[in-house]
Amino acid sequence: MVWRALARGVILEAIRRKDLWVVAILGFIIVCSAGTLGFFGMSGLESFAKDLAATVLGGFSTILAIVTTGRLLPEETRNRTLYPLVARPISRFDLLFGKLLGGIAVSWISFLILCLMTGAALAIFGVRFEVIMLQYVLLKMLGLVVVCSVTLMLSTVMTPSAAITMSFVILFGSGMLSRGLLMAYSTASPSVAPFFQIVNASLPQVSLFDIGGRAANANWGLVPLWVIGTLSIYMACYSGAMLAISWAKFRRQAL
Amino acid sequence: MTDAIEIRDLHVAYRRKDGKAVEAVRGLSLQIQPGEVVGFLGPNGAGKSSTLKALMGFVQPKSGECLVFGEPSWTESSRRRIGYLPEVAMYYPHLTPLETLTLYGELQGLRGASLRHEATELLRLVGLTASLKTLNRQLSKGMLQRVGIAQSLLGSPDLLILDEVTSGLDPLGRQELRTIIQDKQEQGTTVFFSSHELAEVEMLCDRIIVIHQGQLVEERQVSRLKDELRKFTLAYRGDLMGVRALTDATNGVTTASFDSKEDLVAALNQASRDNVEIINVVTQEGSLEDYFIETIREAA
Repeated sequence: MVWRALARGVILEAIRRKDLWVVAILGFIIVCSAGTLGFFGMSGLESFAKDLAATVLGGFSTILAIVTTGRLLPEETRNRTLYPLVARPISRFDLLFGKLLGGIAVSWISFLILCLMTGAALAIFGVRFEVIMLQYVLLKMLGLVVVCSVTLMLSTVMTPSAAITMSFVILFGSGMLSRGLLMAYSTASPSVAPFFQIVNASLPQVSLFDIGGRAANANWGLVPLWVIGTLSIYMACYSGAMLAISWAKFRRQAL
Repeated sequence: MTDAIEIRDLHVAYRRKDGKAVEAVRGLSLQIQPGEVVGFLGPNGAGKSSTLKALMGFVQPKSGECLVFGEPSWTESSRRRIGYLPEVAMYYPHLTPLETLTLYGELQGLRGASLRHEATELLRLVGLTASLKTLNRQLSKGMLQRVGIAQSLLGSPDLLILDEVTSGLDPLGRQELRTIIQDKQEQGTTVFFSSHELAEVEMLCDRIIVIHQGQLVEERQVSRLKDELRKFTLAYRGDLMGVRALTDATNGVTTASFDSKEDLVAALNQASRDNVEIINVVTQEGSLEDYFIETIREAA
């Protein structure tokens, strides 16, 4: 109940602050761009359109999730709205978790609005609905949970601007960093190799949740359910770990 | 009887941006009985807000203990009995006062229609009926302070902790606040508040606690203090034995000053015996502000 109340506050603030208008405008731009391309008769480019849509969706939704979650706690502190909250009979864990849920909810709502807009844009191209698109949406939503939890954790250990910048670097660069670490691991001496493995494991593997390329290619089949299940477990464990770090830092923090 | 608040040898320290540790509260101990209204006074930087923050569990004390109704103040069960108004009242700018109170009420464990009713009633009590659905960002500082007061009263707490309670309130708002606090006191609520408005403190408090540089300087019953600060002036014509005249007779009238009512009564009795003509008796209420300034100067 406490978590729901906190999350609802975050959503209400996001709506009133017109954050979701930004999402709607972005979506509108996507639809208009697609409409223009359709007008000039760029047919037969369904895979390209789907790939582009997935890239745009992935990018925008991650940016929105980082910006939304990254300012949740720092804004509470800066605006001094935190005091009446922590004066209530709730634990600091409740506060963190409620805020995280709110951040996730706002990110999901933004993402789903973008999905609807992008779906409309794809329809202009004549792209038909496929089940893998739903799998794409589901996995992306799971990935956004990881994005939000990482950003929230960073916002408890560094300044707001540093946390947002760091989140961009980690979450957009995690795929590239992972590839680099795996290369380093394969060429490193046995004594150093585990270090690369540990660093790689500690990075959020958000690229695993992005099946945009697969969804764009008509010849590739659905993602097996066990993969979705495994990714769900990974999401729960990784987000739980991020929340635990956030709590460890925040529970004794002087306000 | 268990104290509403008990602070034992509290030390609160902060680390400044330059890395230097600053001790804001140094060995403060105090007790507040249930039902008391206590004013917490001290100049800027005396450690009032730090004490209240430690009491609310916002900062970890370096050492010492803060108890509320016998339990550590940071526990959830203690906080369920506390209504708190922070020094600078800021509330979610994009929520309305009603939504703000509903949110805090839900965190307090209140639910549904009864919460909505209580929130509406409290906003009416603080004079915000017309602004129930106005966004907080469109409210003035004084109106936000009223939202703050309303949220601190949610759930009928047994203890009200109010930091700079009159900040931003206009005279009407202050009068309304006085009424609210007096009503709460009649209902048995303990009120502990810090303020720089000594007139408010004088009107509302049973007791004052003065701190300076993080240490207790003085603790006084307001009624007794007011008696001590009160001065009496007697104007008479004639010769009054045993009374030290303040001014020489002008037009035959002499004035004398007395620190206590007993001295004045004694002088009046003497005047009656000596057939001295009494021209005037004036009672001058002492200034709490002068007392406060003098106390802080002595402590410094």
